[in-house]
Amino acid sequence: MDKIVITAASRVTEASVPKARLGARFGRMDLASQLALLAVESLGIDFDGRPRDRIGICLGAWAGSLSADLEFWGGRDAAGGPSPILFTYTLPSAAIGEIAIRHRLTGANLCLVGKDTVLAEASDLLRRAEVEACLCVWCNVVTPALAEMIQAPPSAHASALFLQRGGEGLRELQENDRDIETLCAAFCAQNSTS
Amino acid sequence: MSGVAFAGCGATTAVGCGMDALRSALRANASGLRACARFDLPRFQSCVVGAASQMDTGSDDPAWNLADSALHEAREQAREALAAIPTERVGLVLSTTKANIEAMERLAEHRSCSEAARRHLRGDYLACDLAAAHGARGPVQCVSVACASGLLAIQQGAKLIQRGAADAVLVVGVDHLSAFVVAGFSALKAIDPNGCRPFDRDRRGLSPGEAGAAIVLVSAAKMSRPGITIHGWGGSNDANHLTGPSRDGSGLAQAMRRALDSARLRPEEIDYVNAHGTGTSYNDAMESTALRAVFGECCPPVSGSKGMLGHTLGAAGVVETILCVLAMQERLLPGTPRLNVAAEGVPSDCLKQPRPVARLRHVLKLNTGFGGVNGALILSHG
Amino acid sequence: MDILLSELKTGIIETLRLEDISPDQIDDDAPLFGTGLGLDSIDALELVVMLEQYYGIVIKDIEESRPAFKSVRALAAFVQAKRTS
Repeated sequence: MDKIVITAASRVTEASVPKARLGARFGRMDLASQLALLAVESLGIDFDGRPRDRIGICLGAWAGSLSADLEFWGGRDAAGGPSPILFTYTLPSAAIGEIAIRHRLTGANLCLVGKDTVLAEASDLLRRAEVEACLCVWCNVVTPALAEMIQAPPSAHASALFLQRGGEGLRELQENDRDIETLCAAFCAQNSTS
Repeated sequence: MSGVAFAGCGATTAVGCGMDALRSALRANASGLRACARFDLPRFQSCVVGAASQMDTGSDDPAWNLADSALHEAREQAREALAAIPTERVGLVLSTTKANIEAMERLAEHRSCSEAARRHLRGDYLACDLAAAHGARGPVQCVSVACASGLLAIQQGAKLIQRGAADAVLVVGVDHLSAFVVAGFSALKAIDPNGCRPFDRDRRGLSPGEAGAAIVLVSAAKMSRPGITIHGWGGSNDANHLTGPSRDGSGLAQAMRRALDSARLRPEEIDYVNAHGTGTSYNDAMESTALRAVFGECCPPVSGSKGMLGHTLGAAGVVETILCVLAMQERLLPGTPRLNVAAEGVPSDCLKQPRPVARLRHVLKLNTGFGGVNGALILSHG
Repeated sequence: MDILLSELKTGIIETLRLEDISPDQIDDDAPLFGTGLGLDSIDALELVVMLEQYYGIVIKDIEESRPAFKSVRALAAFVQAKRTS
């Protein structure tokens, strides 16, 4: 069985959002989708020459879609009612949809809420050959309003990894690589010191 | 393929509390959709919904109540199989789109909200607490992939068993009827105010529903008589639009083909398909196209269950799979409650009424969700 | 009418958070949906909400009002008509 190789890693924060130019609809997306798209963009993957129907997307959303949920619900009393566009982002997996649309990826997907266990699931997809490669994205978006409601610290960042079966890359995925954020932080720290 | 069997099921839905109620509704082709009196916000059309009326409508933790009730029943059914499995080897996978969103509504309006209810706003906490209450000290996950969540959660349960992380997994799907969801689908103008009619020529939208549904999956090796097993699955993304499926159904067709490949089955070996069938113009047309792409003119009998239960979102994949299990046990093809006249292009054997069969060997279950996610699951009997 | 056209363009840009486009870059007669501005069905629903919020116009049947969404000029004519009725 081929080893699983990490070919790219990235980490982005809210600061990168205003200057992002990722398509006409970017401004309409919720923050989680914007950060997830940015994180994937920052990986610099060239999807041409890869079979797009064999690339999976696995997303971990620490607080689900609660930040977008709260924003949607906040508009319920507006004349005309709450925003239809906002409603489409009140799902943790909306970011998967945006990534799939932008990069035309039709492979299998998974979205988990809570603590990050995405790598184990992405590895499973790769070992079973359900996909040949997998985008692993971790999103932690807690707006100030949500922070108060769920008593958690505010946060707005995302990390992403690209995994593939075999081939060359940064390094092989190890048994003790537990979560995306830690892994990306390590790679990005390496990059900034080199 | 998988060596993972169904040891027990439980469900609390619009047709009542428990598997007996669900079985009766299946035989009677009943609809649990009723006019909704729960939401008095002026903006919402009074709509027809699938409400689990036994549930305490004053509760601040409806997600917990629905899930807890279903898990009790499923574990009771699976008692013999579970008795032989230590709790550290029992996992739990929760499928939900909005968890206990009721708490957000209350907190936003400064109404009373218990700590437990607030806690269960978060799907991962809801999953952990359900696991603790139901003897699952193994791995716990919360899957949330829109309306495809249920099928993906069942797949996750099977995967945990197959890779040795657990010997049994409690798969539980839940979403409760909420002003949040009704407001959202109203904003999208996606609701049929008179109640959904899947695959009908006159269909106009979906009906919001709620359910708690649970399945106990056990390694087939640990069961004396495995019965119904998970035979294969497949997933895909349309990569087309956040809320509108690809008109040509190619994404869902791909998920079906992947499921068939994983089960090493040819399309003609499928005895019945339980569709996603929301009752919206787009979904049902897309699904009809996808079925034709995979099965050609020889589509097996198809029906949809959302006219019975409404669209139960995160619970849909689980409760509709349970209906498939019941159908296989009863040897009864489910009908499509509330379907009157099938639309053009719908598969020719789209069942309005239930129909007895000699046997159901392989059944295909489909669900699709916002974000273009498609899921397909194959169940097999003996 | 000019003021209304301008208001609507600003409204569309703000409501839909369109980037890198100013009101005077939106042609009065260019299609809003499909080609032109390339808006989709959910954007249409969002504009229906905008019309109620800004002008108090309630659209019950979006299919019936489809012609109004053909272009900014068509929309302005629609709003104008509703105001005077």
